[in-house]
Amino acid sequence: MAGNKGRGRAAYTFNIEAVGFSRGEKLPDVALKPPPLFPDTDYKPVPVKTGEGEEYMLALKQELRETMKRMPYFIETPEEKQDIERYSKRYMKVYKEEWIPDWRRLPREMMPRKKCKKGPKSKKAKDTTGKGTSFTNTADVLKKIEELEKRSDGEKSDEENEEKEGSKEKSKEGDDDEEDDAAEEEEYDEEEQEEENDYINSYFEDGDDFGADSDDNMDEATY
Amino acid sequence: MTQAEIKLCSLLLQEHFGEIVEKIGVHLIRTGSQPLRVIAHDTGTSLDQVKKALCVLIQHNLVIYQVHKRGVVEYEAQCSRVLRILRYPRYIYTAKTLYNDTGELIVEELLLNGKMTMSAVVKKVADRLTETMEDGKTMDYAEVANTFVRLADTHFVQRCPLVPAAENSDAGPPPPAPTLVINEKDMYLVPKLSLIGKGKRRRSSEEDATGEPKAKRPKHTPDNKEPIPDDGIYWQANLDRFHQHFRDQAIVSAVANRMDQTSSEIVRTMLRVSEITTPSSAPFTQPLSSNEIVRSLPVGYNISKQVLDQYLTLLADDPLEFVGKSGDSGGGMYVINLHKVLGSLATATLESVVQERFGSRCARIFRLVLQKKHLEQKQVEDFAMIPAKEAKDMLYKMLSENFISLQEIPKTPDHAPSRTFYLYTVNILSAARMLLHRCYKSIANLIERRQFETKENKRLLEKSQRVEAIIASMQATGAEEAQLQEIEEMITAPERQQLETLKRNVNKLDASEIQVDETIFLLESYIESTVKR
Repeated sequence: MAGNKGRGRAAYTFNIEAVGFSRGEKLPDVALKPPPLFPDTDYKPVPVKTGEGEEYMLALKQELRETMKRMPYFIETPEEKQDIERYSKRYMKVYKEEWIPDWRRLPREMMPRKKCKKGPKSKKAKDTTGKGTSFTNTADVLKKIEELEKRSDGEKSDEENEEKEGSKEKSKEGDDDEEDDAAEEEEYDEEEQEEENDYINSYFEDGDDFGADSDDNMDEATY
Repeated sequence: MTQAEIKLCSLLLQEHFGEIVEKIGVHLIRTGSQPLRVIAHDTGTSLDQVKKALCVLIQHNLVIYQVHKRGVVEYEAQCSRVLRILRYPRYIYTAKTLYNDTGELIVEELLLNGKMTMSAVVKKVADRLTETMEDGKTMDYAEVANTFVRLADTHFVQRCPLVPAAENSDAGPPPPAPTLVINEKDMYLVPKLSLIGKGKRRRSSEEDATGEPKAKRPKHTPDNKEPIPDDGIYWQANLDRFHQHFRDQAIVSAVANRMDQTSSEIVRTMLRVSEITTPSSAPFTQPLSSNEIVRSLPVGYNISKQVLDQYLTLLADDPLEFVGKSGDSGGGMYVINLHKVLGSLATATLESVVQERFGSRCARIFRLVLQKKHLEQKQVEDFAMIPAKEAKDMLYKMLSENFISLQEIPKTPDHAPSRTFYLYTVNILSAARMLLHRCYKSIANLIERRQFETKENKRLLEKSQRVEAIIASMQATGAEEAQLQEIEEMITAPERQQLETLKRNVNKLDASEIQVDETIFLLESYIESTVKR
């Protein structure tokens, strides 16, 4: 083909003079490694601006950093257990104010689990305690159940059964809540359990009447 | 989001909100919009902590949520808003220059807390101001409220979108998340509050922040259990307005540097008058007649109409085209070309960077290529009057750093290199983007270095803090000079030296961060102005 200057001789595909090298000149070395991480610069950087405004902003910046560490928005990572518990650590803890967000502005799933449970619970309370009896005390509930058991089965009306259902559910939940209050680990377990049982979660969060569904299982749930 | 931005966001979130918030925030920035359970699963944190982190991020306007179909709520992080954390000191300082200490503290509280109700802000600021005043004097709520209203009127603070009032509470189950709405007209409407009261001074016994046992301090109880009159109306700092102010400042100082003080005053007046009439993203301000400008000049400036006209003509004829003449009615209608100004400022930044990095000869070549748009290798050597070898070397250096790019113009359809023109050109937009990316990397490096320096000397810093605490407590209980001397000598002279060096280095690194942020602002404003809306 035209353009082949000679067999085996190196020829550039472009005009070498256009790039600035004259013919036959030694080309610069090929770089065999990446450029250095901190290369020497010929030109040192310009000094930082100083002035009243800049100094004030500098002080503001440092103060802001310190202040934000003390705000309740700064969530500390739970530290691992130290080998030796230092006495001074107890006195160097910074007491932070508790911050409670405005729940109305946040999605409902943001609220901690306990409050969520009270939601459907209060609805059930409205449905089932229409008669005015309050079932807040667990002991009372158990006594009432015993009383009802002593009576004959036939006398039980649907409404009473509904009430018992609601009260038993509440008592179970009341127990759960108390257990939750008692130990944080148990609350954590509760959440974990709830995570696994998605079916049950949606069951409550839908806000469906629990009383209405329990009508179907009237025959079995009399204990 | 580029890797550099993500790294910088991660460092900022970690420094200001802790590691848990940082993990969640960075995960959201990387992966985009996600629901709660997926976040918890992917990051491996407990649901409880994810919720807390999201609450904090939403409070500070760094994350927004949206309800998708089937009731799933998805959370999205706003990377650019996280980067604004760097600029907080500048916002607060600007508020100070415009509205004095009261304005400064109002903006500071709003930035620290994300959003607050007006009554909460007023109370807190009044308390803080009272602390700094002399004994016996207190700050009145009304004064603080006044400043707040002024800030709202000039749009420096704005209302957050509101939860819509629940019209019918029994229309089925409530939505999983409220949809927040805000009416344009209501954004700066200040609620009618009658805030009566004075700032409270904290009792001096509670004031020690020296690390003494805080276990004995009584738990903080809320002072008033009365219902808050403006409950639900939250305010936030309007960052866009601050940016507009910074941009105006940059324009005025550019004109002052290029021409003289009087022209910069004229431009400042023009900007001030068109503040309200021009939207912030407009390419140029609303036309102003020269008569109007004369009327609106500040009181101290007695320039005659003729002199003003001469200045305006000079400004309009300037090759940089900051000011343009758009008509002849009313003595001449003049506009400020905002987008052109931003372009000029970005170009000036690029030129300055080339000069400081590669030297003034490189800068000459750079300016030459900018001016002539496209140049061949030979032409560059001729026009710049620089020997061929050096010119070639400099061009390639700038090319490798992407300040200059090559434009190929083939002579033949097969693009053979020997038969193609290679022209050097400067693409300002892409060079600006490249420089912006480098700025993000720089700040990330500065923050890392500062954290490294602080960690290296952690032991020494703690020791000096303890010594200071001891001295302070001893002074409070009244101690002799000799004892204080003894305590001070606990820190040896070489340690003092080390502390001095550390302080100087940290200050320098912090100041550099603030300065790089100024460059970021200019470049971001320019790039934003080029995006077609």
